[in-house]
Amino acid sequence: MESVQRFTHAYSQAPWRKQLQLIGLFLLGLIIVALVAGIYLNVTARAATIGRSIQGLRFDIEELERGNADRESQLAVLTSNLEMQKRAEDLGFYSVDSGEIVYVVVPGYIERQPLDLDASATTPLPRIQTLSPEYTQSLFDWIRERVFEPASPLAEGRP
Amino acid sequence: MRTEYSWRYTTLGLLLTALALFIILQMVRIQLSPQAQVFRDRGAAYSGGWRTIVPARGEIYDRWGHLLAGNTTVYEVGVELSEVENPSTIALALNATAGADYDEVFSAVSQEPSATAVYRVLADFVSEEQKARLEQLAMEMEVAYGGSNESNRPSLAGLRFVPHLQRSYPEKDLASNILGFVNREGKGFFGVEEKFSDLLAGSPKTVWIPLDPNRVEEIPDVPPGASLTLTIDRAIQTEVQDILDGALVTSGAEAGTIIVMHPQTGEILAMATTPRLDLNEYWRYNEVFVNPTPFNRAASKSYEPGSVFKVLTMAAALDSDTVKPNTPFLDTGVFEIGGAVIHNWNSGAWGPQDMLGCMQHSLNVCLAWVASQTGANTFYSYLQDFGIGRLTGIDMAGEVPGRLKMPGDSDWYEADLGTNSFGQGVSVTTVQMVMAVSAIANDGKMVTPRVVKSIYDKGKEYNSSPQIAGMPISDETAQTLTKMLATSLETESSDALVEGYRVAGKTGTAEIATPLGYTSSATNASFVGWGPVDDPQFLVYVWLEKPTSSPWGSVVAAPVFQDVVERLVVLMNLPPDDIRKRWMNSQ
Repeated sequence: MESVQRFTHAYSQAPWRKQLQLIGLFLLGLIIVALVAGIYLNVTARAATIGRSIQGLRFDIEELERGNADRESQLAVLTSNLEMQKRAEDLGFYSVDSGEIVYVVVPGYIERQPLDLDASATTPLPRIQTLSPEYTQSLFDWIRERVFEPASPLAEGRP
Repeated sequence: MRTEYSWRYTTLGLLLTALALFIILQMVRIQLSPQAQVFRDRGAAYSGGWRTIVPARGEIYDRWGHLLAGNTTVYEVGVELSEVENPSTIALALNATAGADYDEVFSAVSQEPSATAVYRVLADFVSEEQKARLEQLAMEMEVAYGGSNESNRPSLAGLRFVPHLQRSYPEKDLASNILGFVNREGKGFFGVEEKFSDLLAGSPKTVWIPLDPNRVEEIPDVPPGASLTLTIDRAIQTEVQDILDGALVTSGAEAGTIIVMHPQTGEILAMATTPRLDLNEYWRYNEVFVNPTPFNRAASKSYEPGSVFKVLTMAAALDSDTVKPNTPFLDTGVFEIGGAVIHNWNSGAWGPQDMLGCMQHSLNVCLAWVASQTGANTFYSYLQDFGIGRLTGIDMAGEVPGRLKMPGDSDWYEADLGTNSFGQGVSVTTVQMVMAVSAIANDGKMVTPRVVKSIYDKGKEYNSSPQIAGMPISDETAQTLTKMLATSLETESSDALVEGYRVAGKTGTAEIATPLGYTSSATNASFVGWGPVDDPQFLVYVWLEKPTSSPWGSVVAAPVFQDVVERLVVLMNLPPDDIRKRWMNSQ
């Protein structure tokens, strides 16, 4: 019995060493928590900054749309019939009478076509998700996507 | 030493544990307390706000893409009450620049800021120029008095400008009677602005906007309202308006209407009426349209058209084989029907005539006889087929149906058959007449007049196609009558004739009914015509109300038709008949 106690005593760690290990483990835990907290703060701060810039961009879009409407109206005023008539008269033009017109056949002439808003409109931009998935999906969703939903083999070949 | 101080550590540990437990318990208690909801609500109130996104009102273009109705930025001027330094300066500045009431602004700005009084609207629809003046004033005051510590130093501190869109009409009064207008509440009045108001306005959406940037979400797309392309040609509309204004001056007429329509498609190329309103100043409506003046006489005012109606009477008689162009008629100057005695416009007897002569000399006696020969049932059946007494369905607000008394109606008498034959005792709108006459100009096919060419909504364009409203007469009848009317104009050397172009048409002079009966001193002078007769590209209707230079349509309205057509052939690139025929033959 005594030999067992001696053996145990010989191989057991000194109390100060145990305390040191405990302190080390505690500090390690503290560092991990601080690291996670730091990453969390960094990510949320970036998310907040981007969120704020999205809010700003939204106002910018509204302002640009209003600006576009203003410009179009201003252009319409500058090119209104009255204005154009005045400018033409100032340049020495006058309204032609039917008797003054000489009609000639112009092969390939395409007469003026009425307005086609569908054709003149700019191609609408595809609807884009403003926030990337990193800011909206959970860790679980991300893992599931990566593990259970492998990328399509054709994805590389898509334009 | 360890045992000596161990109880202290134990006590401190217990105290800290108790404190932690107390804090946790307190947190749980607060979460479960009745006041918790109050705190949550208070937090939610500052977390964001509901915002209604009003889409931009759709634009309106003429057929070539010229903007007739668009949008422009204006500002709501408000004030942050907590930032106000001098209410008097703000009231004075807004009174001077935006015309706001001084007392109202002063009283609003003088309010003590509180939880319920944070922001006050002082003026709205302030223009860009007015806003710039206010900002300039604010800057100048800051420069001049910024360093002063006086409590009542002049200052515009606290002013806020919130931009939004307002309707604008770059062409001012051009086609105003067709467009209508939109008030500050976004409600459309008259014309296409009223008829298509819901479509133009789009669908506003109310969304929650979080202030917390971590909770920012995508705002749903709120597409702008639908845009309209009208059939109107801006250049033709301008010319027609100018011609109408000139005609009112030379004829002394009280008011007038001119419609130009493509008889094969029903597209209205121009519709000019008086009075007109600069749509950017729509609040002057009551000044311009003194009751009961309609906003658009062409569709909203019916009248007795007079002899232009004979076109429909003759069409019915020819189509029903009652008469032929050469059917003889002896005009004795008097015709009795249903107890009423019909006389000619000059009270004279015109002797032997045929149907061409009857139309050429516009003989009431002859046309009353023609209607009586056609028979009441047949005659009124044709008039119904021509759409008389019914709405045409033109795509504008405010159309009225006019009135056609029919056999069987309590107020219809046999004498009405006689008077209706030459356009008295029946009320029509000019739009109705244009539609009815389109059947004669378009080989029997009557087209519905329309002013909207296409609608562009959510990325798709919807084109309107010609609507055949009926075929009241055969193509043969239409062509026969067109030739008769062209010949009659040529034979009498009408003022409506246009050199190089063969046109068909008919004048009209109608006495105006008063409470004391019909009076010859006030007339409605009209002219309806179309051309070129072998391939009609335009149909023009002229109506002048109470002309004073002459009561006769042939004197005051026919020259207006000529003026319009002379401009139309240029603007529509229509070569003279001989050149056109030569080209067609060469091809």
